[in-house]
Amino acid sequence: MNMGGAIRAIISFLIFVVLHYTLRPLLGWRAPMDFLILALLLAAVRVRPATAAVIGFVLGLMSDSLAPDALGAGAIAMTVVGFSASYLKAVFFADNLVLNAFFFFLGKWVFDILYFIGEQRVHGFELLQQLLLWSPLSAAVTAAVGVLLLFIMRPLLEPTPT
Amino acid sequence: MARAIRSNTRLDLIVLTTCIVLALAARALPNTMRDPVATGIRRTFLAPLVMLQERSERGRQSLLLADSKQARIDSLSLNSMKAGSLESENDRLRKIIGLGSRLRWGFIPTEALHGRGVRDETTVILSAGSRAGVSRLSPVIAPEGLVGVVDQVDPTMSHAMLWTHPDFRVSAMSPDGTAFGIAQAHLTGSATGGYLIELRGVPFRATLKPGAVIVSSGWGGVWPRGIPIGTVLEEMKTSESWARTYLLRPAVNPADVYSVMILRRDRLAKGFDGVWQSVAQVEQATQRINVSGDSAARAAALAEAAARRAVLDSVARSNGGVPLGVTDSANAARAVAPKPAPVRRPAPVDTAARARRDSAARDPNRRDSVRTDTIPHRPGAAR
Repeated sequence: MNMGGAIRAIISFLIFVVLHYTLRPLLGWRAPMDFLILALLLAAVRVRPATAAVIGFVLGLMSDSLAPDALGAGAIAMTVVGFSASYLKAVFFADNLVLNAFFFFLGKWVFDILYFIGEQRVHGFELLQQLLLWSPLSAAVTAAVGVLLLFIMRPLLEPTPT
Repeated sequence: MARAIRSNTRLDLIVLTTCIVLALAARALPNTMRDPVATGIRRTFLAPLVMLQERSERGRQSLLLADSKQARIDSLSLNSMKAGSLESENDRLRKIIGLGSRLRWGFIPTEALHGRGVRDETTVILSAGSRAGVSRLSPVIAPEGLVGVVDQVDPTMSHAMLWTHPDFRVSAMSPDGTAFGIAQAHLTGSATGGYLIELRGVPFRATLKPGAVIVSSGWGGVWPRGIPIGTVLEEMKTSESWARTYLLRPAVNPADVYSVMILRRDRLAKGFDGVWQSVAQVEQATQRINVSGDSAARAAALAEAAARRAVLDSVARSNGGVPLGVTDSANAARAVAPKPAPVRRPAPVDTAARARRDSAARDPNRRDSVRTDTIPHRPGAAR
């Protein structure tokens, strides 16, 4: 990735992070989209697994700081998701919207599974309901929004021809 | 090449392991250490984003509350719109109650239901009928005076002809009995004649001044004596040279008739002394108070003007100058003429007069006030 592409990727990443803290609370949905996951996944496919793990760790720690009781849970989940996304990018790295949507959906769902298990706040039926109902819904919304943003921000995210 | 790939993979795994270990360490931190870490992150790296999130959540709250706020504003507006009509209705009901207490017996309180057609401005439906004691030609009155007469009676409701009806007539007179006539609606081409009344057939020798009250005379047997009909506005020019015709402002506006009273036939014979008289007396007393207040204010203003003139003259004299309003020719004439005897100036205005003037000026019930141009002053004198 050249310098221009890196800058555009950083800008896209920052846009997603800002959207996470502005649009998401403004909408206030029960099954919210997760722009941090989208930012992490978009960054992960462009960097090495180690870097993706660090980015995931930092993002997770940031989001955990707003919920100190779960400090570390989000960091673990995002580290794993970031590393896995970067490791598997050869599989998913395709200019296919449906494949990208599935990529976002899977990333968000795996993150939620890891997060809620690591957080240990909800148990039993409530945990099952969260993981099998709300998390997939949230993942679906995240995937839909991610695809939409990919479509909108295509000029910014496309790799520069060399 | 293969070694480099293996090296990179190993590095990735090391970094991953390190991150996970650090995350687990953060997860395992006790609360006393977890909170400072989280707070530190919030207050440094995350501070701008937290601020954005707060604003977004505040915006969302505003959006959620906007509907309820608008609904509350609408309710308040609706209540404030109703307040005026409720006040007027309350006032009218109080008057009705007052009239009922003065009549004491022999009346049927009822509601007047207006129609929606043009012709309905001259008739109303009353919510009381023969079962309540209403009979044909029963007078319909309001606290202000005459409304109309019942012309059809059903068991549960009745139909009344308002005074605006072209066929309506009532024998009328001035309260002192010096002028008699027949009152009827003033028809000027419109359906209601602009809600005015004509007093016809007044003898030529009898003159009525504008503002004079006209009441029913009691002749004819339908209407009892003394019910207010209206007040004289002006004399109308007609071709009848043997009688006068006056235009009256009605005591009751038919558009405002909602709560009325129907007088029973047996009540008519007992008279209505003092029923409307007390209202007239109150109005006259108020008028007298206003007039006396005007007189007091006028007297106080005159006294003040005289005192001010005296002070200005004395100041002018003490300065060796000429009293205000005195010309050079007058000075010359004064020098030649013998000095007149000293004239006592009016005493300065007393504080009581000033207080009276101030209180009269502040009185909100005063209908008029003394105009400054009615206060006499010397030409050229400073005011």
